[in-house]
Parts: sequence; C-alpha cells; structure tokens
Amino acid sequence: MLDTFLKSLPVALAATLGAASLAQAEPKAGGTLTAFTSGYRTLNAAVQSGAATGAPASQIFAGLVTVGTDYAIEPYLAESWEVSEDQLTVTFDLVDGATFHDGEPITGEDVKFSMEVVKANHPFGQNMFGHVTSIDTPEADKVVLHLDQPVPGLLMSLQPLLMPVLPKHIYDDGQDMKTHPRNMENVVGSGPFMVEENDPTQRLTLVKYDDFFIDGRPYLDKIVFPLIKDPLTRVLMLEKGEIDYAPFAGVRPNDATRLEKADGVNVTTDGYGAIGYVHYLELNLREKPFNDHAVREALAHAIDTDFLSKVIFGGRTQPGTGPLHTGNPFYSADVPMYEPDMEKAAALLDEASYSVGDDGTRFSFVLDVPSWAPAAHVPMAEYIQAQLAKLNITVELRKAPDFGTWVKRIASWDYDATMNGSFNYPDPTIGVHRHFDCDNIKNVIWSNTQGYCNEEMDKLLDAAAVETDMDARKALYADIQKMAQEDLVFIYMPQDFSATVYSDRIGNTPASPFGALAPFTDVYLEE
Amino acid sequence: MLTGLLRKLANAVLLLFAVLVLNFALIHIAPGDPVEALVGEMGGATPELIAELRESFGLDQPLYVQIGHYLGRVLQGDLGYSTYYDQPVTHLIAERIGPTLLLVTVALLWAIVIGTILGVFSAQRRNSWISHLVTVLSLAGFSAPVFWIGIMLILLLSVAYPILPISGMTSTETATSTIGYILDVAHHLVLPALTLGLIYLAFYSRLSRTSMLEVLETDYVRTARAKGLPKRLVIYKHALRNAVLPVVTFAGLQFGQVISGAVLVETVFAWPGLGTLAFESILRRDTPTLLGILFFSALMVVVMNLLTDVIYRRIDPRIKAT
Repeated sequence: MLDTFLKSLPVALAATLGAASLAQAEPKAGGTLTAFTSGYRTLNAAVQSGAATGAPASQIFAGLVTVGTDYAIEPYLAESWEVSEDQLTVTFDLVDGATFHDGEPITGEDVKFSMEVVKANHPFGQNMFGHVTSIDTPEADKVVLHLDQPVPGLLMSLQPLLMPVLPKHIYDDGQDMKTHPRNMENVVGSGPFMVEENDPTQRLTLVKYDDFFIDGRPYLDKIVFPLIKDPLTRVLMLEKGEIDYAPFAGVRPNDATRLEKADGVNVTTDGYGAIGYVHYLELNLREKPFNDHAVREALAHAIDTDFLSKVIFGGRTQPGTGPLHTGNPFYSADVPMYEPDMEKAAALLDEASYSVGDDGTRFSFVLDVPSWAPAAHVPMAEYIQAQLAKLNITVELRKAPDFGTWVKRIASWDYDATMNGSFNYPDPTIGVHRHFDCDNIKNVIWSNTQGYCNEEMDKLLDAAAVETDMDARKALYADIQKMAQEDLVFIYMPQDFSATVYSDRIGNTPASPFGALAPFTDVYLEE
Repeated sequence: MLTGLLRKLANAVLLLFAVLVLNFALIHIAPGDPVEALVGEMGGATPELIAELRESFGLDQPLYVQIGHYLGRVLQGDLGYSTYYDQPVTHLIAERIGPTLLLVTVALLWAIVIGTILGVFSAQRRNSWISHLVTVLSLAGFSAPVFWIGIMLILLLSVAYPILPISGMTSTETATSTIGYILDVAHHLVLPALTLGLIYLAFYSRLSRTSMLEVLETDYVRTARAKGLPKRLVIYKHALRNAVLPVVTFAGLQFGQVISGAVLVETVFAWPGLGTLAFESILRRDTPTLLGILFFSALMVVVMNLLTDVIYRRIDPRIKAT
C-alpha cells in the first residue's frame, strides 16, 4: 500500500503542478513573434491565392468572419448575420467603430468593393462568389448579398484569407488591382496588424494595430517574417530557436524527427485540413490506354500508396483515398480501395487486350513530373516507373525544367500522364468540383484537364453545391468520393507531409483548420 | 598610355554589345519563353490568349527584330520590365547590387590578402609540413561545394558555437545608430563572406605560391641575395612585387565570376543580393531580369578588366612603358 502510494506520489505532484501552471497560463500582451517567408510578390490576398501571400495578408486584412475549430463560423468584422428562409439573401451587420489602418472607417461599401475585387481577380473568385448577383449597402454598417441559388460554402469564403476587406478609398482609383502599387507599398489594411517594414529582399515586419476593432487584441506587438528561402537554413534556424513559428516549413519527415528532439521545439501537422493538399497521378483520359477503365484499375492495383506513405513521408501521412483530404469536413473513408496485387493488375491488362507484345512491353507512356514539390513528386514518379516495369509497361519520366513548361503541357492537354496535386480549400465547391465537372474541361491548369465527364457525377456535384442541410450534403460528398474512386478519375497518392514547427513559448497556437492562415488575434508569447 | 586605354575602352563597348546579342539569342533560342511562365502563373490559357500575349511582348517577331528592339532600349538605359515582379529591371538590380558588391568585395579581398600571404609563406618553405598543409587545405577548399562549406560553417559558428547569425543581412531589431547598423551588417557578413572567400582563398594561395616559386628562381632575386640584402627585403620588395602580378590579373577577371559564385552563398545565407534574384529569374523564366543581370555581370567584368589594366600598369613599369 505504502509502496503504491510512494510510486504514485511523483505523478500526483506533477499533475498538481501541471494543473497549477495551466491555471496560471494567462495570455500576456507584448513581444515579437518571428515567423518566416519564402518570398511573396503581393500582400493583397484578394488578387493572389497561396500561403506566401495568405499568411501575412490574413494578419493585415480582416474578413467578415473567421473559422474556428471544427469549421465553426465565428463573427469577425461582421458581428452578426442573417440568412433568409429561401437562402437567397444574406444580411451582415458590421461591428461598430472598425477602422482601417489609416483611421478611415470600414463600411459596407468597402465590403462590397472587396467582394467585387475578389470575384474579378482571385483565382477562385467566381467559384466563391459567382452566384452573388448583387450587393446592397442600405446602411454604412450593413451589407446585403443577393444570390441566384443557395451557396452553402458562402460563409466559409468570407474569412480574411479568401475575402480580405480592402479600403475602397485607396484601391478604387481605376488602376489594375493585380498590379496596384498599394498591394506592396504603404499597404493599408483592416486586420489586427499593420505593415511597419516591407522589404521583399529581406523581411516583412508587422506591428499591432492599436485601434483594432476587438478590444485588447492582438496580444503580440510584432510579427516578423524574415525571408529565408533555403530549407536547410530554415531547419537550422528553427533548431536554434531563431524562428518561433514556421507554418509550411517545408521540412522533410526526417527533419521533423530531428527538430522534435530540439529543446522547446514542437512539430505539428494540424492546421492544414482546410486547404487540404492532395497528391495524385493524373492520366489523360481522352486517349489510349488510359481511356480504358481496366488499365486504370490495373495501375491502381500496382501502386501501393500505403507503401509510398511509409517510404517517402516516414509514415507521417495518410494514404490517399479520394479527392478529399482527411481534414476536410466532408471527408469519407467509405470508398472502393484497390489493394496492391500485381497478378490481378497483369490479368486486367491481359483482359483489356494490353498483353505483352513481341518487344516485351504492353505499352509505354511519358510521365510528366512538375518542377514544384520535387521532394514528393520525383520519388513517387520513380516508384511508379519501377512498379509498372514489373508489368512490362515502359514509363519515360519527363521532368519539367520550370513551372511554366509543365503548365503549358498539361493545360493544353498535350500529355499522357503527370504527377499532380491540388488544394481542396474548405468547401469542395472551390477546390474539388473543378476537377470533375464536365463543364470545366478547360485549357486551364487544375481544371478538369484530364477530360473526365460523367453525367451522374455532374448531378451529384450540382446537388452538393446547393444543398444547405449539412448531413444531406455530407452524404452527397460521400457519393462523390465513392464515384471518383470507382471511375478512377485520378490515382491518389499519399497526402502531403505539411508541418508547422513552433516554439514552446507560443501560447494559443493557431488551432483552426486554417492554421497559420487565420488571424493571430489570440496568439501570445509566454516570455 | 591614354591611347592604349581608349582602345581598350572601345573594345570593351564592342564586347558588351556582343555579350548582349549572344545572351539574348541564347535565352530566346532555348525552348519556352516568358509567355509560358506567365501562362503558368495564370494557371493556363487558351491558345488564342497565348498568341495574344506573345504578340504583346513582341515574341511573334523574328529574332533579329527582337534583338534590335532590345538593343535600342538598352542604349536608352532601359533593361525592360520584370515579368514576375512587374517592376523595371534597373530598379530590381539597383535594389540588390549593394549587398552583392559588399559580399563579393569583402570575400575577394580577404581571400586575396590571406591567400597571397599563405602562398608566399609556403613557397619560402616549399617542403615543410606547413607548405603541404596549405596545399591540402587549398585543394579541399577548391573541391568542396560552396553550399556545403556554408552549411558546415553555420553548424560550427552559429549552432555549435552560436557567435554569428545564420542568415539575413540585418537583425530584426532595427539599429538605432549608423555605427550600430554598420556593426550589425558586418556581423551578418562574416559567414557568407568567409564561405565565398574560402574557394578563392584556395585559388590565390596556389597561384601566389606557384608564382612566387618561379620568381624566387630568377636571376635578379639571386643577385639580390648575393648582394647580401636581408631575406625579408628580398622576399617582400623584390620577389613579391613581381609574383603578385598574376594575382592582380586574376582578381580582376574573377570579379564577374564571383557574382555568379555568390548565387548559392546568397541563397544559403538569405543574403538579399543579385545572386538570389538571378536564381529566381531562371526558375521563373523572367527573361528581362535574367538578361539584365547577365548584362550587369558582363559590365562588371569589363570594368574590372579595365581597372586591372590600370593597376597593372602602375605596378609593372614594363607595361607602363608600352
């Protein structure tokens, strides 16, 4: 008895002390948080997608709402909103007294202007706000959106990353929004931090905006984004504690293991669910042999994504099961999977009249490898080449020298197969529909470049786009994921290893599915 | 002497012209063009839009017409517009040339001074263990990849013994005084300059050693020794002055090369110079920026050659006489 008591004493003491320290962990105001940037060419997220612009822009500009844990929509610049019964009108009330960084009031006119800018200039502008037919501003602090059909993902698109509220009095001067000088010089935002120094060759420094519309926020005095392009230098700086917070750190799984051993350094893969990056093998479905489902099925049986997940990503990622990332609110694991089976793959090819010819091969094709994400795409492509060689399929790898060369090939449909990947973004209407919709077979990268068209799929997509009941919508997306796997539109690879490396001294680490792309209003430093 | 210099100046202008034409032709003969990069950034475009963009950039014109237009603009001091940054190339170069010149000058200077001293030292004691050590270290420095040396130095001087900053040119906290700013930059400069200089240290120590060995065998050095002059005087007044001539020549020639060598060092140490801009321009097919940097690099080589010539004439009376 005494022995048990003595053994449990240190544990009890530790638990008591731990509880005490947690109780004392009150947010503290002040301090400078050092993050990093790998380079950006604009700070205006209304005209540029991606994390390089999005990470700082989400601090400089506010949105109407923010997204909390579990995708809960929370008030931000809009203190409340009301959706009409027919789901075709949404009315927002803005918070009182909100101002831009130059002291001018933020009004409904600014919101209207910003939405029009996003709709016309952002790569997803039409997907997000294409059904907004008109915007009224009956009062200075009121905005009314009129829709031509219900848009269930609308609120999700109103957070700062996708719909930053811009100052109309600065930008509405007739200049092209994409190249507007105020996107980089004397940037006037609406968010918790304002630009103090913007030197794209060295660093971006943001300072707390004292008149931010949420009292007592943000806690941090400054956020600094030094420019660090070399991933190895970045790892060393993280290890040494010169960087406090590194989202999209670009670290490899073995670097992550090393960093986790460093004092006061943590690694997490949380905070990437909302943008949800998915890797896949894209096949040109217009031509032989990939227009034959049996060939695609044979390839699916030959490629073991679980193996790839373990080998390339050290077992730190999930094998790909379909178009949705496991962190997406509509993700479903109930899909057909193709177990690794080389014999079955060979039999399928034989049945499909792709038996081994006199030259010792079944067929050959060129597999394009893009220049971006080489750490993932190159080993994946080499693995596919080796696996398919076992089936007497010759794969020639064609590595693109640059982004433009690869885009031109794929967007003009001049390819056999390519390693590829894309972002879901929180609502599938933004990042997922584009790959499956018959109407989206376009000469545009990350559209339906592979040329897939299935009327049943289109019906499901159309229904999911307007379904406002969450459970019914989830069921529709479950069917979509199932159909994507049945039709083998793509052959999914393991999910990417995206990691954030952060210091122990950060309190309230951004925990929403948007991670570092959400505003740092509550983040603080413990010392 | 003035006529000789003027002739060299005229040659330099011709050389720059040839460099411009050659660079332009080589980049435009290579597969792909800036429109492909732009289309990539846009996420793709229809063949009609691609043709329209190509026309707007003048890329539908024959190569000689494009070169003519480009040369005309360069003569007016216009190096074009960056297709990625949407800024004048001259502005981008002006923004980044300072840090690169600082890095390259400091790296080259310390490499020349220390390299020459080491070379002279090892030539005097050609079979000693110190001479062999200098040879081995030179070969090691010359063979090792510059980014590897950079990372090793970071591990040693920033991680194991944290006395120097890992990256950047200035600290996050802005210095309040000019002296503070200079010291801050100097603190950040040590590692990249040390890394870049190490390759050239190897080169100059070998060069000055060989040159010194040759000079030490000449008759006038033997005569100076026979006259009973002190050893130090023979080495530093009579031998070194002649032995240093190839070092000066190569230093001038190498200045342009060092800018290209700075590409990797600048990337590793996040040094905000031309090297990183050149590297990014290649990846982004930002042809106007790349052409601008190449032109600037050629200009530096030509200017340094002229300067070398002037210095050469000052330290070698035989050339001054011609």
